[in-house]
Amino acid sequence: MAVNTENAAAAVQDWLRENVTGGREVAEDYALIDNGVLTSLQTVELVTFLEDRFDIMVEEDEFDEENFGSVQAIAGLVASKTS
Amino acid sequence: MAHPEFTLQDLLRNSVERGPERVAVVDGKAEHTYGDLDHQSLSLATALQEAGVEKGDRVGVYLEKSWEAIVAMLAASRAGAAYVNINPLFKPPQVAYLAQDCDIRVMIGDSARLGELEPATISGTTFYKGEAPEAGISGELVNLAEALESGDAPVEEREVSEVDLATILYTSGSTGMPKGVATSQRNVVSGAQIVSTYLENTPEDRILSALPLNFDAGMSQFTTALRVGATLVLQRSRLPGDLMKALRRHGITGLTGVPPLWALLLRSTKSIQEEPLSHLRYIANTGGRIPQANLDELKRLLGLSGTKIYRMYGLTEAFRSTYLPPEEGDRESSCIGKAIPNTEILVVNKEGKECAPGEPGELVHRGPTVAMGYWGNEEATRRAYRPNPLAPPELLDVERVVYSGDTVSRDEDDYLYFIGREDAMIKNQGYRLSPEEVENLLLGSGLVHEACAFGVENPDVGQDVIAVISLRDTGEDNGSAVDAIRQHVIKNAPPYMVPKEILVRDDLPKTGSGKIDRKGISSAYANG
Repeated sequence: MAVNTENAAAAVQDWLRENVTGGREVAEDYALIDNGVLTSLQTVELVTFLEDRFDIMVEEDEFDEENFGSVQAIAGLVASKTS
Repeated sequence: MAHPEFTLQDLLRNSVERGPERVAVVDGKAEHTYGDLDHQSLSLATALQEAGVEKGDRVGVYLEKSWEAIVAMLAASRAGAAYVNINPLFKPPQVAYLAQDCDIRVMIGDSARLGELEPATISGTTFYKGEAPEAGISGELVNLAEALESGDAPVEEREVSEVDLATILYTSGSTGMPKGVATSQRNVVSGAQIVSTYLENTPEDRILSALPLNFDAGMSQFTTALRVGATLVLQRSRLPGDLMKALRRHGITGLTGVPPLWALLLRSTKSIQEEPLSHLRYIANTGGRIPQANLDELKRLLGLSGTKIYRMYGLTEAFRSTYLPPEEGDRESSCIGKAIPNTEILVVNKEGKECAPGEPGELVHRGPTVAMGYWGNEEATRRAYRPNPLAPPELLDVERVVYSGDTVSRDEDDYLYFIGREDAMIKNQGYRLSPEEVENLLLGSGLVHEACAFGVENPDVGQDVIAVISLRDTGEDNGSAVDAIRQHVIKNAPPYMVPKEILVRDDLPKTGSGKIDRKGISSAYANG
C-alpha cells in the first residue's frame, strides 16, 4: 500500500487514541507538544512505532516540534520519507 | 543597596532595581523584561485581591509553562497568597483532588484545560488564558490577559514575611494520595540562595527551564534566575531537535534536568561533537541517578566545551539536600555528594544514632529549606518531620528535620552514596507515585476487583509502574478488559501513572492479615 499523508495521519491518530488521549480524537492541526498532549517520552515511543510501521528512519535533527507538533506535521514527515 | 532577601517579592524588587530593561523571561519569540514582570505581577495581584483572595489563600496555577505561569506565582505572592502550581499533565480527577485538598478557590489556567474540569472544582473566580472556556466552570470568569494589562494599583499592599506560606508543592509518598508540601517564603528564598550559590549563577546566565514548574527542582530555575537577575528561557518541547535549537539559539549557560532528559540530549551526539556547546557553563541533574553509560558519554561530550556537570539530590519536603561539585565528578553514579550550603545532612540508623562511615542509614535533612509539613495531614507530617535527634535536650525550641525514607551511606571523606528505599514508593521520570494512587485509578475503571501496583527498576526512567490485577466478573474476556482498563487510566491520569504492564491473575496473594501481598507479588514478578 502506498503511504500518503492520509493513511499516515490515520495511523498517528490510532496510535494517539490508543496510547495518549484515551480514545479521544484530536484535530489534525492541534498543537500536540505546545499544549502538553504529547510528552517527550511518548514522542520517542511514537517515533519507534512510525519507524517500524513505515520502515523509515527519523534523523536526530528532524526530531523536533516542527515535525512532531501536530498530526498533520507528523503525517507530512512520514509521507515525505516514504515517497 | 540591595534589599534584604526575605520573600519572593524582595528577590523581584532587587532584580528590577538592577535593571528593569533586562530580559527576565523568554517565552517562544516573546521577551519579557524585569520591568514587565514587576508591572504585570502587580496588576494580577490586584485582580486577585479584587476576586476576594485573602492573605494565606491558595491560588491554583493550571497553566502550561509560560510567561503567564511565571507572573502568576509572583502575583499570588504579592497578594499575600500561596500559589499552587498544578502539573499541566494532570487530568480533571487529579485537579479536583488537589483543589479540594488545599481548598483552592481561585484558579488561573489555560482555557482548554479549564473547560474539561468537573464544574464543582473551583467555587471562586477563574482567570482563563485564551478564549473563554465554554464548560467546566461554575464561578466567575476573568480574562487573564486583561487582568495582566490592567495596570491597576493594589487595593492594599499586603505585608508578607518569611514565615508566611509561599507555595504548596504536591508530591507523593509511599502510601495514600498525593500530599501538599507547605513551603514558606523562607524555604523558597533560602533554596534560591543556596542553589544559586553552588551553581555560581550570575545576571549573565541564560537558564533553560526544561522541567515542570510544579516540581520543586523545576521551580528552582525560576527562583534562582529571579534572585540573581538572570534570563529564564521557557522550554516546553523536550524533543532532541528542539532542545539543541534552544540551547544554541539562546546561548544557554545552565541546564537542569532529570535522567530521561539526558538520554534525549544524547540523541544529538553528532551535533554536539561537530559543534560543542561552548556557551553551556553547567548542566545539573536531579530526580534520580543517571545510568553510568549515559553519565560517561555526557562527560566526554560536554568535556569538549568544558561544561561542568553537577549531580544533585533533593526531596520536595526540604527542596534540595545535596550536590556533588563538578570537580568530584569521577565518583561513581550513586554518589549524591555532600550537603548543600547552610545545611546539615545526617545519616541515622534505626536506633536514632549517627551512622559510622560505610554503615547504611536514613538520610535526614536539617536546614532552612525544611518545609512546614504536609498541608492538612498531621499524621504524615509527624512521620517525616521529626525533632532533630541530635539536638541537646536543654534546647527547648523543637527544631524539625526531614526524614527522607532514603537509605544512604557516608564514606570516610563525608561523601554520600544513595542505596535505595525500603518502602513502596515508585519513582518514574523524577515523579513520585504511591502504589495506592495507581491502584485507586485502576479500581476506578469499574472493571477491576483487586489491584496491586509496584515499581520495577529501569535505569532509563527510574522505575516502571507494573500492575497486577484480578477482574470483576463482567463477562468480558481478559484482553478486552485490560484494553478498557488501560484506556480508562490514560484518560484519567498523567502519562507517568500509566502502568507499563497490566497483568491479570485469578486471585491476588494475601498476607497473614488479609492484605494484598505487594512485596510477594512484586518479588514474584521480578523472578519471572
